[in-house]
Amino acid sequence: MLAVVKKRLVQLVIVVFLLSIFTFGLMKLAPGDPVLTILNADEMMVTEADQAKLREELGFNQPFYVQYGKWMLGVVQLDLGKSYMTGKPVWDEMMQRLPITLQLAAGGLLVMIGISVPLGLISARFPGKWPDQISRILALVGASIPSFWLALMLIYLFAFKLQILPSSGVGSFSQSILPSFALGFSLASVYARLLRAGLLASYSEDYIRAARARGVREWRILWFHAFRAALLPVITVFGLSLGSLLGGAVVVEILFSWPGLGSMAVDAIFSRDYPVIQGYILLTGVFVVTVNLLVDLSYYLIDPRIKEGRGEAA
Amino acid sequence: MKKIMCSRCLLLIITGLVLLLTTACSSKESNTAAKEEKNEQEKKVTMIFSFKSANLDPHTGFTPIRTGITETLLKLDENSTIEGWLAESWETADNVTWNFTLRDDVTFQDGAKFDAAAAKASLERSIAANESLGGSLKIKEMQADGQELTITTTEPYPALPSELVNPYTSIVNVAAEKEIGEEGFRNAPVGTGPFKVKSFTPNQEVQVEKNTNYWAGEPKIDSAIIKFNEDANVRAMALQSKEADIVYNLPAEGLGAIEKDKELIVNSVPGLRAHFFLYNQQSSNVSDIKVREAINLLIDRKSMADDIMLGHAVAANGPFNSNLPFGISDEVEELDVDKAKTLLNEAGYVENSSGKMEKDGKPLKLELITYKARPELPLIAQLFQSDAAKAGVQVEIKNVENADTHLVENKDWDLATYSNNTSPRGDGSYFLNTAFTETGALNVGKINIPELNELINTLNTTSDMEKRTELTKEAAHVINKERAHSYAVYPNILVGVHSRIQDWEPAAEEYYILTHTMDVK
Repeated sequence: MLAVVKKRLVQLVIVVFLLSIFTFGLMKLAPGDPVLTILNADEMMVTEADQAKLREELGFNQPFYVQYGKWMLGVVQLDLGKSYMTGKPVWDEMMQRLPITLQLAAGGLLVMIGISVPLGLISARFPGKWPDQISRILALVGASIPSFWLALMLIYLFAFKLQILPSSGVGSFSQSILPSFALGFSLASVYARLLRAGLLASYSEDYIRAARARGVREWRILWFHAFRAALLPVITVFGLSLGSLLGGAVVVEILFSWPGLGSMAVDAIFSRDYPVIQGYILLTGVFVVTVNLLVDLSYYLIDPRIKEGRGEAA
Repeated sequence: MKKIMCSRCLLLIITGLVLLLTTACSSKESNTAAKEEKNEQEKKVTMIFSFKSANLDPHTGFTPIRTGITETLLKLDENSTIEGWLAESWETADNVTWNFTLRDDVTFQDGAKFDAAAAKASLERSIAANESLGGSLKIKEMQADGQELTITTTEPYPALPSELVNPYTSIVNVAAEKEIGEEGFRNAPVGTGPFKVKSFTPNQEVQVEKNTNYWAGEPKIDSAIIKFNEDANVRAMALQSKEADIVYNLPAEGLGAIEKDKELIVNSVPGLRAHFFLYNQQSSNVSDIKVREAINLLIDRKSMADDIMLGHAVAANGPFNSNLPFGISDEVEELDVDKAKTLLNEAGYVENSSGKMEKDGKPLKLELITYKARPELPLIAQLFQSDAAKAGVQVEIKNVENADTHLVENKDWDLATYSNNTSPRGDGSYFLNTAFTETGALNVGKINIPELNELINTLNTTSDMEKRTELTKEAAHVINKERAHSYAVYPNILVGVHSRIQDWEPAAEEYYILTHTMDVK
């Protein structure tokens, strides 16, 4: 297990390095720089000389590898630089927004689990019967509704029509209900089907048949025997979802006015705030690779066969 | 038995979830009830702005002035004319040395006296904090003596009063910053305005409460909460659900539902922005003025205002809104395909067998750049494309992500739809200098008209307000005569207001939103 961790840590460094060089290059290839935005040319009298001066100050005249090198040098000293727009250190900027995004992601996950587990269990318990059909329809609906539209409909229903929940804002429990649903609902549909498939697959295993022969009740078999085995593919996808949750929450963050990491990244991209974009990519890169490592390690806990070296982690 | 137990487990989970939701809802209800009870005693206003704020530094953002936290030395009145605010009067003999007499009855929100020394320190802070402010203020040195502030500029600079209207020059108590620290000050600046910061959550909301010692009289409302939300539909729904009293930048297509509600009012205010067409002077296709005149006649301004902007825009007749003191009263040009064809003929183009205009066997094909950041611009481009086709002019629309850079870095474009705030501070010199002079950052079409340059130069050294207005109007006439740009529409600002709000109206400049005169029923 320790060897896996070591191997993955090396992988982490390589992945993040390649990611940073790739995105830095892409950003430099994309047209535009933040100079006009920083100088607020839409409202302030700015001359070409002002632009040229700022461009030089920010080092945009230097070759790509020099700019990248300087940035990387900062990163190894744990300095991600300062945002061009706010002047604040990128690290502080991200740490201010991370809890908000994590809160949203946690809410989304809770909703996802709350919906997908019962739905998946019922579907697997009654395959082909009406509860399974209903769950299938719900999953289809959930997967096909875009989250921004679902979010708007939730706001329309609960904030505008019924007026029982606030339409936006962060802080209170009630403010997190709608965004959590908007985020969790579409995920839930995927996981409900995944869980159903996993449960049905493990039904065909010998130990389930043995349990059935011993007269163990169907619900018990489902919950205590098949569920654990069915979790393996679910957790694999879950690791991937966590990464997309950080980025995929953007629309929900903007609609519900949650100043999280996603909306920060979008703003940074629009204003070409390179240090913030790079910092964000670095953070999400490290996060995704770490989560996937944790997912792989969790196989050892869930499936004893892997621990004994008889299986290989997927 | 076990089966029943597990079913119960499942039932429990579901009931738990439902309960969780309902308690959340009911706790919200009781919260709202409690809030309503409090509201009866307290006069409170909730607003939603579309522009968010990462901090409340008045020298890098507009939120402090909009929310009544800070004030500037000079301001714009309802006719967009400059008047005194924290400065009572100002004078200059040579456009270099400026004497400002500041109000003697003003204190900062922390009780400190507002005087020339405080104003000087604040202006110095603003120049240090804002990259482009130094260039726009051109201050060489300042001297403070009691309530007399003397500013010396680096060159004769008649536009200084207009630049002191800029919210970035908001006056704050710099001494307070030293006490509470930079970070604390950025989240709760101490100004002279009618409202002081109660709490601030970056990019989310700011809560303010009234400054009972406000120099112009005690504010009528007790507190206000200003939220930021970038989604227009969500803002509209928050207004309809009465969650917000004032909502800025409503989506035009959702106004029908709001107007049906008798408690809500939609204010469509003429703004200071113009949507227009840029010509690339380096392109051989549009370098002939006859071609530009023809193109100008193919812009259906009326339809752009009525059909694209749904009536929430005014057809444009020049760079500045005709409501402004320096706006011109020329008639708005109407779509005239026949006249456009005649002008193209005069420019040497003839209609070929397939109805296309061509010169020396080459059809007139224009590349039109547009961008999505202002969603109406691509629609304006499309409408123009179809009208131009009627005159045999082919228009190819290219939608780019970053128009500013594309227009600078590429030489092969002919036209572009563009949008600019043409008079942000009650003066036309900002736009004339940035969009038409050789060094102007927004002169992407490389416009160089000697007559216009001369006018701008004269304007830059003239301080008499009447003379400045005349010169600005003259410049606008030259721009129209030379077809340096073609102005399409002046978009309105759409503000939704609950009828309980009294003694308040949104204005064109969008600077002074929360005021001490605003009241609620």
